[in-house]
Amino acid sequence: MPILNRKQRVSDEIPTASMADIAFLLLVFFLTTTVFNEEKGLPIVLPEEKEEQEVSAKNILFLIVQADGSVVVRRGESEQEQIVAYRQVEGILRQELAANENLIAAIKTDPSAAYRHMINVLDEVKKAGAERISLQMVGE
Amino acid sequence: MAVKAGGFKRRSGTSSDIPSSSMADIAFLLLIFFMVTTVFRREKKRDIDWVNAEATKKIDEKRKNILHLWIDTDAQVWINDQAIADQDIAQVVRPLYAENREIVIAVRGDRDVPYSKINTITKQLQAAGAVRVTFATRLEQRMSRPRR
Repeated sequence: MPILNRKQRVSDEIPTASMADIAFLLLVFFLTTTVFNEEKGLPIVLPEEKEEQEVSAKNILFLIVQADGSVVVRRGESEQEQIVAYRQVEGILRQELAANENLIAAIKTDPSAAYRHMINVLDEVKKAGAERISLQMVGE
Repeated sequence: MAVKAGGFKRRSGTSSDIPSSSMADIAFLLLIFFMVTTVFRREKKRDIDWVNAEATKKIDEKRKNILHLWIDTDAQVWINDQAIADQDIAQVVRPLYAENREIVIAVRGDRDVPYSKINTITKQLQAAGAVRVTFATRLEQRMSRPRR
C-alpha cells in the first residue's frame, strides 16, 4: 500500500493568485455601496441685516401665499388683486419680467401657511428665471 | 563584435504579461486609499417629509462649507445633532460663520412646518451674518405639465 508515500496535496500557503480578486471584490463592493448625499436645493441669498432697501412700488410684484396655499398676486402700485393657483405663477411672472426686468418678486407668506406652499411658489419664481427675490411674512 | 545570428533570435527580456502577483497590492492600495479618504458624516438623519421643487439645483459647494439646519416634524431645530431653541440659532451659527466665511446653510425643513418658523430662522441667520442659504428640496418630476 502506498499510503505512506502519499504526499499531502493541501498547500499551507495562502493562495496569492486569488488575492487580487478578493481585493477588487472588496473595492467594487465599497464603490457600489457608497452613497454620495449630494446637496440639492433652491439657493437664495438673504439681505444683510439692517440693509433692507427701499424700492419703488412699481418694481415689486407681491406674491402673497395664503394659509391654504393659494396665491394672491398684487402689482406693486395697483390695488388690484388676483387669486391664482401656484402653478400659474411662473407664467404670470414671465410676462411681468418681460415687461420690466428690474422687477422684484416679493414672496409674502402667511405665518400659518405650510413651508411647502412657500417652496412651491419659490420654485415657480425660480423657474420663471427671476433673479431678484424677497422673502417676507404677512404682518411684519 | 558581430551580433550573433544577426540579432534575430534574441528574445526580449521583458514579459508581455501583466504581473498578476502585484495586482493584489495595487487593489489593496486602492482600497486603503478610499478607506482613508472617506469622510463619514456623523450627523444623524432626521425623519422629515421633504419638500419638492422642479427648479431644484445641485449645490456646488464643498462639504465642509455646508451646514445642515434641520427642522423636524415637531418644528424643532437641529444643528449638528443638537436641539436648538429658536432664539439661540444666531448664537450657534455666529461662531461657525466666523470660522468659515463661505458657509452655506442648508435648511432641511419638514413640508408642514408653519412659515412663521422659517421666518424666525432666516431672521436669526441674518443676525448671525450667514446670508447664503439654500432650501433643501427634492427634485420633482411632474409627469405632465399643465398647458398654458
